[in-house]
Amino acid sequence: MLEELAALEPFRQEVRAWCRTHVPPDWRETQRGAGHDEFVAFGRWWAGQLRDAGWLAPHWPKEWGGGFTVAEQVVLAEELARGDAPRNGLYQVALYNAAPAIIHAGTDEQCRHWLPGILDGEVWCQGFSEPNAGSDLASLQTRAVRDGDHYVVTGQKVWTSVAMEADWCILLARSDPDAPKHKGITYLVVDMHAPGVEVRPLRQATGAAEFCETFLDGVVVSVEHRIGAENEGWTVAQTSLASERAVVILGLAELLRRNGVERVIADAGTWPLEDGQAAGDDPAVRETLAARYAEALVLRYLINDMIDGVIRGVDVGATSSVIKLMYSELLQGLMRDATDIQGLPAQLDRPLLPPAGWESGNWMLDYINSWSWTIAGGSNEIMRNIIGERMLGLPR
Amino acid sequence: MSTLTDAERDDLRAAVRHLLDRASSSEAVRSLLDDPAGYDEELWRRLAELGWTGIHVPEAYGGGGAGYADVAVVLHELGRHLTAGPFLASAVLGTTALMACDNDELRADLLPSLVAGDRRATVAIANDRGSVDPRRLGVAWEHAGTGIRLRGTTAFVPDAAGADTGFVAARADDGTPALVAVDLTADGVTCEATPTIDPTRRLSRLTLDSVVDPASLLCAPGPSAVRAIERLAAVGAIAVACDAAGAAERMLELTAGYAKDRVQFGRPIGSFQAVKHHCADMAVAVEGSRAAVAVAAEALDGPEDATLAAAVTTSYAGPACSDVCAVAIQVHGGIGFTWEHDAHLYLKRAKLDEAWFGTPSWHRRRLADAVFPRVLAVVDR
Repeated sequence: MLEELAALEPFRQEVRAWCRTHVPPDWRETQRGAGHDEFVAFGRWWAGQLRDAGWLAPHWPKEWGGGFTVAEQVVLAEELARGDAPRNGLYQVALYNAAPAIIHAGTDEQCRHWLPGILDGEVWCQGFSEPNAGSDLASLQTRAVRDGDHYVVTGQKVWTSVAMEADWCILLARSDPDAPKHKGITYLVVDMHAPGVEVRPLRQATGAAEFCETFLDGVVVSVEHRIGAENEGWTVAQTSLASERAVVILGLAELLRRNGVERVIADAGTWPLEDGQAAGDDPAVRETLAARYAEALVLRYLINDMIDGVIRGVDVGATSSVIKLMYSELLQGLMRDATDIQGLPAQLDRPLLPPAGWESGNWMLDYINSWSWTIAGGSNEIMRNIIGERMLGLPR
Repeated sequence: MSTLTDAERDDLRAAVRHLLDRASSSEAVRSLLDDPAGYDEELWRRLAELGWTGIHVPEAYGGGGAGYADVAVVLHELGRHLTAGPFLASAVLGTTALMACDNDELRADLLPSLVAGDRRATVAIANDRGSVDPRRLGVAWEHAGTGIRLRGTTAFVPDAAGADTGFVAARADDGTPALVAVDLTADGVTCEATPTIDPTRRLSRLTLDSVVDPASLLCAPGPSAVRAIERLAAVGAIAVACDAAGAAERMLELTAGYAKDRVQFGRPIGSFQAVKHHCADMAVAVEGSRAAVAVAAEALDGPEDATLAAAVTTSYAGPACSDVCAVAIQVHGGIGFTWEHDAHLYLKRAKLDEAWFGTPSWHRRRLADAVFPRVLAVVDR
């Protein structure tokens, strides 16, 4: 990949220059403590900036507004992190979960129907988890009953982030209750404005309420809104490409390095310890943070290897679990370190900075927030099972 | 120099593994544990014949003209097989000293014979405390007539017994470092074995009270010598990290295999999540270490000073690899705690690797000193 990256130096400079003129230098100040509506408005505005630059959906096929090579996507992710661009949290599901399923498992008609809307700012949420289906997602109970040319969907979903704003929901529902649990699931797109859909905000441990519960009561979903075949939804849900996942985690790792590790190192220089010495001059603190700095680099090396593997067409399956474990534990460990080093002042309540995601600089709240990464997307215990079983061949 | 392609490197790895699977089997390793020389001379000659003792040395000196990223493959396999012998001391560090020096005559004289395995060298840059900081050297040097007098001790010298030449780092009263080639068989050089807990290694303490010819200086005392000593320290740190990564990889394989076979409570113990998750954590550490070590070994072939690469690698891979070997004993249970099982040999080897050429703690301090000012400049954007 290194040669390809070198050849992309002009593109890198282009993104870097763009960031200097487009990333608002004061967004960290203006968005801290922003209300929900303001956060949504800011997220829409920022996504519009990226769309106008042609960089909102680089991983999509060219005809839909993407067509970037993996190396180009890497450069873009690196430079957006370097340029302190806000995150695109509002559109994460639309861009990286819904669109890949539609592109890889849907029809051309479905692509025409939904993809332009995503670029125009439609928000999507994900209705996978349920109160009784977390780590064991395939045991989900929301029902989709076929009735002619539509399904009638009834059930309850949780952790449907940004559902309050969402226009569409990608939803897994049980269409064949008699089939083995992975075989009877269908992947549907639900109109969040349809009758029978009710969303309640769910306040998470940080105090923010970006999580939601979504209740579905006899919601009618056309068969044209089914992605893939009936009862094949479990497979459809796995269809995002390895390259897409790899670039996503690369972007996260770059943000963690730049906005997490490097900012904590900078902050430590300004924190007096109880004896008056700057934390950044304390040998124990320096060792701790240097170890985190090294870990962040090693994480990046592993991701580089995975991306090389993706480009060569090698199966990187279990490697992505290794990387998710390392990323989430580095995130959580760093936030804990930052909180411990800052001491009691870290406990003072300061508003969150939602567009900064997991590295808002409010390290105690970021520490609390870090559980979203050790639990979401397959808890770290599930990741360890995957590594043990698929990589090492241990028995179930 | 052109480093090997990925395919060539895979071939090299397979070839080294094929040889060591037999020549450095567990039985072979154990047969040498109490042997004073501690290594298999025939295997050493074989490594030289196959050209692996000089993969990274320019062809003009009889080497393979490839890079440190390639010799790293051999080091990884040696760690994997717990192989004893002077590969690190002579083939890696000895050649590095000569390649890092300005003394063309000495290089032309010694380097080809080190590559061929005809002569053996070692490198003595650590003080009694194990520090490889050029400001803390345990040997003093001064001009004595037309010669150079060396006095003092240097410890943790690998495979010095039987070596012909030692490249010794020394320090003048005013602090000026020098790097000197010393005939280890000459009068005034005492080599005392200092057995380590790791029985696959042979370390010594050298006590020097001798006068050597100025032609033995590898480079001019001062900044050139500092660069050469730091290069040796970086190569040493990365080389032992390669060794540890190989050891950790093997322990992961043995442990996962054992967890599949060992049945308790009517089930393979690897089906218990408490055990499975230990193994998964070992796999994360092995993968991370492999990636870290590969990047660091490549850095040795690049134009930049590799000190930072060594620091990053040691900070992560040092403890990660020894933890893998430690957890391996736990997962093996009682059998893992016996002398008969190899697990303790791997843990001992990985712990020595971790502390050698700078502890992770020391490397982290250096990393902080070097990197934090740069980070502050970037964050303040």
